[in-house]
Amino acid sequence: MVLAQTAKSSPPSSADRRSPLLSVERVTKDYHTDGAAVRALKGVSMQVGCGEFVGLVGRSGCGKSTLLNLAGAMDFPTGGHILLDGTPTDELSEIQLTGLRREKVGFIFQSFQLLHTLSAVENVELPLLLAGHADPRPQALARLDSVGLAEFAHRMPHQLSGGQMQRVAIARALVHSPRLVLADEPTGNLDTATGNSILELLRRICTEQKTSILMATHSTESASFVDTVVRMRDGHIEEITRS
Amino acid sequence: MAYWSLFFRLIVRPVLRERARSVLVVFAVGLGVSVVLAIDLAGNAAAGSFRSSMETLAGDDDLEVTAAGGVPEQVVGQLATLPYPLRVTPRIEDHATVSSTGVTVALFGIDVIAEANRQQGRNLVIPKDRDSFQHINDRDAIWTTRGLGYRLGEAITLLVNDERRDYVVRGFVPESAQDSEDVVLMDLAAAQNATHKLGRVDRILLKVPEHPGLAVWQQKLRDVLPSGVALNPEGSQTAANRRMLSAFRWNLRILSYIALLVGAFLIYNTISVSVVRRRADIGTVRALGASRRAVLLAFLAEAAMFGLVGALIALPMGRLMATGAVRLLATTVNALYITSRPGALNLSAESVILALIVGVGVAVMSALAPAREASLVPPTEAMARGLREYTIRVERTRDAGIALVLAIAGALAARLPAVGGKPIFGYLSALLLIGASSLSIPALVYWITSVASTTLRRFMGVEAMLASRSLAGSLRRTSVLVGALSTAIAMMTSVGIMVGSFRQTVITWMDSQLPADLYLRPAGDPSMDRHPTISVDLTDRIANLPGVQSVSRFRAYEIEYQGLPVTLGSADTHESRYYRSSGFLSGRPATDVLQELLSGDSAIVSEPFANKHGVKAGDFVALPLGERVVRFRVVDVFYDYANERGYVIVDRSTMLRYLPDPSASNLAVYLAPGVNLETTRKEIEQAAANNEVLIFSNRDIRREAIRIFDQTFAITYALEAVAVLVAVMGIAGALMSIVIDRRREFGLLRFLGAATSQVRKLILVEAGLIGLLANLAGLMLGAVLSLVLIFVINKQSFGWTIQFHWPVKLLLAALSLVYLATIVAGIYPARVAQRLNPIEVVHEE
Repeated sequence: MVLAQTAKSSPPSSADRRSPLLSVERVTKDYHTDGAAVRALKGVSMQVGCGEFVGLVGRSGCGKSTLLNLAGAMDFPTGGHILLDGTPTDELSEIQLTGLRREKVGFIFQSFQLLHTLSAVENVELPLLLAGHADPRPQALARLDSVGLAEFAHRMPHQLSGGQMQRVAIARALVHSPRLVLADEPTGNLDTATGNSILELLRRICTEQKTSILMATHSTESASFVDTVVRMRDGHIEEITRS
Repeated sequence: MAYWSLFFRLIVRPVLRERARSVLVVFAVGLGVSVVLAIDLAGNAAAGSFRSSMETLAGDDDLEVTAAGGVPEQVVGQLATLPYPLRVTPRIEDHATVSSTGVTVALFGIDVIAEANRQQGRNLVIPKDRDSFQHINDRDAIWTTRGLGYRLGEAITLLVNDERRDYVVRGFVPESAQDSEDVVLMDLAAAQNATHKLGRVDRILLKVPEHPGLAVWQQKLRDVLPSGVALNPEGSQTAANRRMLSAFRWNLRILSYIALLVGAFLIYNTISVSVVRRRADIGTVRALGASRRAVLLAFLAEAAMFGLVGALIALPMGRLMATGAVRLLATTVNALYITSRPGALNLSAESVILALIVGVGVAVMSALAPAREASLVPPTEAMARGLREYTIRVERTRDAGIALVLAIAGALAARLPAVGGKPIFGYLSALLLIGASSLSIPALVYWITSVASTTLRRFMGVEAMLASRSLAGSLRRTSVLVGALSTAIAMMTSVGIMVGSFRQTVITWMDSQLPADLYLRPAGDPSMDRHPTISVDLTDRIANLPGVQSVSRFRAYEIEYQGLPVTLGSADTHESRYYRSSGFLSGRPATDVLQELLSGDSAIVSEPFANKHGVKAGDFVALPLGERVVRFRVVDVFYDYANERGYVIVDRSTMLRYLPDPSASNLAVYLAPGVNLETTRKEIEQAAANNEVLIFSNRDIRREAIRIFDQTFAITYALEAVAVLVAVMGIAGALMSIVIDRRREFGLLRFLGAATSQVRKLILVEAGLIGLLANLAGLMLGAVLSLVLIFVINKQSFGWTIQFHWPVKLLLAALSLVYLATIVAGIYPARVAQRLNPIEVVHEE
């Protein structure tokens, strides 16, 4: 079995790992389709420490995205608990969950999910605006700069390449300085070289800003950039490998 | 079969899947079609199938002899003694009100014995019992239709002119002879006596032999008749009335198509959305071998499907609406044109075909452009969503250019004259302006949303910015929605301004043209074509009352001029000193004009008459009066808003020279200075104790006039309201499709930290912005259209000069209501957006 190999940077300290940012405890998740229940997660337990870069690896349908959604407080588990920064998500109201997401979670998607009616910088400042920030422009520009797109700030999404769009999406995920970034196949729509540059960027962010990243990927090559590889299969964790 | 299967899978199935939106579109189209159907049915019943009450019992006659003020009785003898085998039937034709019920019915005086003896045609049947024959010559004998509910031998009191008269029912008019309307019938002499038409008859009906033809007989008889007496084919009056009503019906029909026009916008939007949404499907089926034609037909069939179902819904809905509309129309026809009772509402095969053609036709026509676009898109391009919106953004400048050209063409068309009395170019102008407005809307929306988005964010939050950006981003859809709603609002605004201006003009006109303190007219229903009279005795008694300074007598007759009915009136022009403003197109003082009226055969004509017949000051009009045709010089044209058929007014002394009947149709009473109005009114009531007259104060008569005015325009408001309703329903449907199309965006926003309330607010703000943009565009277009309505369409159709006036309160109320309705239309789609599962919608790609 090929496991995660060398990390490009130093791994998080043991102190960080002692106080996990995300705890997944015996989580099960059922979906009901056409009257039949399908168990997407079967008693999954894992942790993501502060500043840790964790890769969820597995084939399509193994439960990676489901786990990401639960981790991001977008959904509730059928059984078990999710603790985000010590707070159990299943005990929060809809408003509290929204607040938690605004404050602590950033999302990156495979298909970038930029709003085509907004420019790059407007896309980036959107989470801050939704959270009620009065003047988010400087922060948004700084974030764009940090992903190397300062000069493309006012371009519309259709004027950007795939890699640039994903960088904008990353800047958007980070603009509110979340403690946890959830990335769902962030390189799935990109060529290998661009994909690698995105992974390097995520690695850098994780290291420099101590932001925890939980990334779902079906590519074992992507796993080479992470601290921990969590291998999933048919709704349960098969193996956890720390580098 | 293969095509049907493809059609079902690609078109029908998605339509069924989006039930709420499909139902809204179908219902909106159905509503549009039902309005057209309702107006067609109601128009036919109230005006289209118009048949004068006076045609009742007309039988199989060929010609009719008429004259202003009645045909002298000696003409009857003259015709009867001609050496030709003619059947001569003189008739008195008037109206009477049944005292017990207040119902006004046609009153006929005929030669009862002669009618009873006639064997052919739809003749009066006198019961063959002894009683009937015994009373046939009684002066109080009358025959009624059974519908009036009187029994044989029962007493009946009729109000004729200003007198109450008692009669006894001696028989019934057979059902075969009546035309669904109730009538009363009496002997010719009795009728002449009751109506004070001694020595005159209203019409002589003539039956001529078949050979040598009607035209020859008409010529032969013309030669022997006095010049002022008209000889026309029987039913000419009905034909003239129909001609008069045609402009009214035509304008009403055009108005009824507005809701359909709005419906057309919505079909266009629906099919456009279908095309955009199914671009990938189109690409796939094209790649799999479907021809362009098949794609075109599939989308046209989708539109036809909406149209067909809408039309089928419209049949019962239109029939129901027609029931309400017919009452309103009949009131208008009676108030403005002629006494008539609406016929039955018939949902005939023609009506069904009309609904289907209109529904399917409009749907297919409006879907033509997007369907063609779908067929032309190459499969590769069809896969790329977003490109079409980009193209639209690029084309908005070109569209704005075309809009400018259309606007100029519209302005030019507005300057062209009427065609055959119909404001064809006026309507063309309105259509061009609507087109110009629709094409300029993409530029307007883009410009406003671009400029306003930052401001909106500042004042209304990020949701407002997202909403405005999304509107600009989906420019095509937004433009169609704003176009549909703004067209409806524009029509509502323009009609509102026109009616408001008209109302204000009438009020101002009444201020200066109704100077008397009290007005009197005979009791009974008022109507434009009936002129019951007040007895001379009563007039004299009132004039001699101590509190009365003077009485102005107005007498009206129905005449025909150039094939159209006209009211000929005479007035005591010595009362001109009371007029506060000119009231004449020339602007000359009323005293000068009325002084000139006293000299020779002079007349003044009303503005509608002048416009309809192309008459101006200094021209001559030849009018048949009694046995003569008299040429009157038109001294001036006066503003008049009381009568659409048109007035020719001469001085009372002139009129009496030709028609020596001194009775007045109504009286204007001027009180002596310092006299108490109520006291004098009581004195007049006492003086008129034995007469059936109604007395109105100046204020009463104005209030009554405005009541009739408002009633007349109620149907226009109703039509506009339906158009707006259709548009608002369209907005609700479109917002539903926006929610469906942008569900990923809403899901994403939730991932990015948006609360469900923010998603809801976004949709509501979007609805509000559509409403705001539509209100803005609609108000601008409406103001321009109101100018066309007031100064072109109204002027050419009816000939009235209306002073422009902004009915601010009405417009504010209406626009606020529409705005509110648009936001309400967003509530359900907002709830749907709020309930979307963000995980499902974001990951469904």
